[in-house]
Amino acid sequence: MKTADMGLWLLAFRLPSAIGLLLAPSFLSLAALAASPDTLFQAGATAYRAADYTQAAEAFRQSVTLQPASGTLQDLGNAEWQRHRTGEAILAWEQALWLDPFNDAARQNLRFARKTAQLEAPELAWYEVISTWLPVNWWAWIAGGSLWLAVGMGALPGLLRRRKATWQQATAALALMVFLLSIPALFGVQTRARIGFALQKDTPLRLTPTLEAQTLTRLAPGDPARWLRSRGRYVLIRTSRAVGWVEQDQLGLTCPKAGKRIG
Amino acid sequence: MSLMTSQPQIAIAANPTATAAFDPPIVRPGEQAFYRVVFNALEESIEWPGKVPAPAQLEIRPGAHGQILQMAGASLEPRTSFNHRVRAANVGMFTVPEYVVKVYGKPVTVPAALLEVVAAPPAGVRTTPRLMLELPVTNLYVGQAVSVRLAMPGLAGGIVQGLGQPQLTGQGFLVDLGGARQRIEMTTTAGVSLPAFFYETTLTPVMTGKLTVSAQGFTAGNRFSGPIVITGSATIPGGPPQYTLLESDPVELHVRALPTEGELPGFTGGIGRFAVGPPQLVTNVLHVGDPVRLTVTITNHGDGPLARLVAPPPPQVPDWQVFAAHDFTPAQPVLPPRAVVQPDVRTFIVEAGRQPTGGRAVPPVQPGARTVPEAVQGVVAFNYTLIPLTEAARATPPIPFSCFDPDTGSYADLTIPSVPVTVLPGTVPADLQALTQAASTAGEAEKELILHGLAASRGRTAASLVPPQQQAWFPFIQLAPAAAFFGLWNWDRRRRYLEQHPDVVLRRRARRALRRQWRILRRAAQTADAPRFAAAAVSALRVACAPHYPAEPRALVGADVLPLLPEPDRTGRAGEVVHRFFEVTDASNFSTASTNPAELLPLQSYLERVLQQLEDRL
Repeated sequence: MKTADMGLWLLAFRLPSAIGLLLAPSFLSLAALAASPDTLFQAGATAYRAADYTQAAEAFRQSVTLQPASGTLQDLGNAEWQRHRTGEAILAWEQALWLDPFNDAARQNLRFARKTAQLEAPELAWYEVISTWLPVNWWAWIAGGSLWLAVGMGALPGLLRRRKATWQQATAALALMVFLLSIPALFGVQTRARIGFALQKDTPLRLTPTLEAQTLTRLAPGDPARWLRSRGRYVLIRTSRAVGWVEQDQLGLTCPKAGKRIG
Repeated sequence: MSLMTSQPQIAIAANPTATAAFDPPIVRPGEQAFYRVVFNALEESIEWPGKVPAPAQLEIRPGAHGQILQMAGASLEPRTSFNHRVRAANVGMFTVPEYVVKVYGKPVTVPAALLEVVAAPPAGVRTTPRLMLELPVTNLYVGQAVSVRLAMPGLAGGIVQGLGQPQLTGQGFLVDLGGARQRIEMTTTAGVSLPAFFYETTLTPVMTGKLTVSAQGFTAGNRFSGPIVITGSATIPGGPPQYTLLESDPVELHVRALPTEGELPGFTGGIGRFAVGPPQLVTNVLHVGDPVRLTVTITNHGDGPLARLVAPPPPQVPDWQVFAAHDFTPAQPVLPPRAVVQPDVRTFIVEAGRQPTGGRAVPPVQPGARTVPEAVQGVVAFNYTLIPLTEAARATPPIPFSCFDPDTGSYADLTIPSVPVTVLPGTVPADLQALTQAASTAGEAEKELILHGLAASRGRTAASLVPPQQQAWFPFIQLAPAAAFFGLWNWDRRRRYLEQHPDVVLRRRARRALRRQWRILRRAAQTADAPRFAAAAVSALRVACAPHYPAEPRALVGADVLPLLPEPDRTGRAGEVVHRFFEVTDASNFSTASTNPAELLPLQSYLERVLQQLEDRL
């Protein structure tokens, strides 16, 4: 059978599925258009300007759920702040900086909110400070890319039976240096992912993970804490004042899925 | 201590009592009345029930509550009132039965109260005045101060009372108690001119959204809490006051956030209609390093009060050191807007603590008197200390300043203009640079503490908040280059091995060539193409033997093939087959005698056995 005949036979046999594959993206795009992150973002901004902050926060939150974005998280923080939900506002601004540390407006809003609400910022170790220099998504690619670039520059000339040029050796050394420097930042991203913020007013910090436990202290909304481990619906956190248990719903993590892996 | 001991004691009743009544006791259907319960006890001691046992036909909602201390002999007696708003849709007699409330832990019976709802109530039933809350505007911006007026019209006969403990209740606003004023003046209601008590203060919303404001206060008779201006004719009752708790209808405010679009430099939160006067310097001839004071006046032309306008921060300019003047004082008192009267109206001022005589008549307003609004509601002066740092300065720096005009909904530029000066040589103090640094740092720090507006776009996006290294697919992505490098390394290793063992390559090539010739001879045998079959068979024998000899395959002959066969086959049938194939092909190529290659076709099975033996040796 000739190739052309085989192609026609295949086309006839698989025509329905081929049409389905062609049309599927169209239907998907139509469905997504109804509630795309952009339209939700615009709807939230419109509601915010009309002082309907509840609606604005809802729209921004849905947009973030579909696709996290630094600007959307910044606006979500503004809407939550206008709703007097300090914990949610600070969490949203922290997440905006988590995605884009160059978002100066979110950084200023955080400073403003913490100054206004008399809250402290989370204390970061040196490697965590380094990890805030660039978006968290960059560090993994920088580390992976620089590692394989160094390996490639070191190994490829030998494999290809070519003499190692000076620029290749320099590139390999530079890439290796970048890789080694990015390791602390990668570790900082890992540890920063466990930082959370109290969401509710007067969140009780309990001595044991039980409802009847003694309350050690109460956290203000927006107070930072580090997630240590979880047990049931309680999580063990460390704040600047004490170590204790809170309910999972009362703590919002910068990286929401980090707690599940730790717990 | 002596001041404390000189205060009258608060008498706590051993057996507290309660009174309950409707105000007014007779109303029309749908008309609002107040159900008021009064205790002679402290408010904190009363366990007031959440719901009053009222008839189902009576719509009853909680209202104001408050406590005031009343002079009773040489001591003070607390009086606590609880108001409820009551409305009945139909005509009838409605009784709130007696019920028990715990006061100081003891049960106190609240007596029954009767409300009569009739179609036409008799005239003159109302005995207590009404309290009204008046705001000039209800659509406000956050931070926009607005004057609030509590009005308590007098009763028939021109009797008017003071208001004790006036307060605004609600959430989301601040009340400026320091700027409160009170006065009594004539008002015209339904064509009747009556005196009314007015209490004015300033309200500033601090939250956005819908805010509800209501006012409450106690009728205080002739007791006034501060200076009061009485204009016109009024009768102030004598004797001890009744201290009836009044409340106004709630007023809903719609508060919006200030727009971030179009905000101008130097905005310090001022909302209203302001005008900047010409800046004034003490002298226009300065020396480098000598401070000079700059004064500028801000005039309020708006309807709102000039409440705590904040001076713009000093600018950071290279030729000047400008210090913020925190000692600015109002050139005129900052007061809420009010109406002024013509000079022919006689005005009486009652000082705090001096009670007017009971029933004293105040001269009425002249017929020609009218009230006119003030064009200027207040003036403030901002002072700055400027120090020229170089002789190059030719004018004072402009100081950015702006305000938000609520009427137009936009920001207005009120930048304080520069003033031409002549700067002569002088000496700059050594510590001036340190002051410059400190002022610059403080300015930056203050500038940062604002809530930035909405982001114009979604900004940097990501598939997830989870970083890539915590994603399940990330290790596989990193394995891809590792696999590629491993493949490259393996390929290079194999290549080096083959370079050191070229016979492996020769044998592989021989195997490929043998199989190719094998396929050809089989096809030739199927088609009975004897010459092609014989040629392919000889080629197969040659390429199968080639790796064992350092010669070209085409140069090999049958004698070269035989040593590679097992010993018994060399002289047996296999050897004959090899000889026969070479003979026939050599004869067909080189001999003139005719040959018949067809006779080789039956030998295919023997040939294939030989080829298999040769392949096994490759």
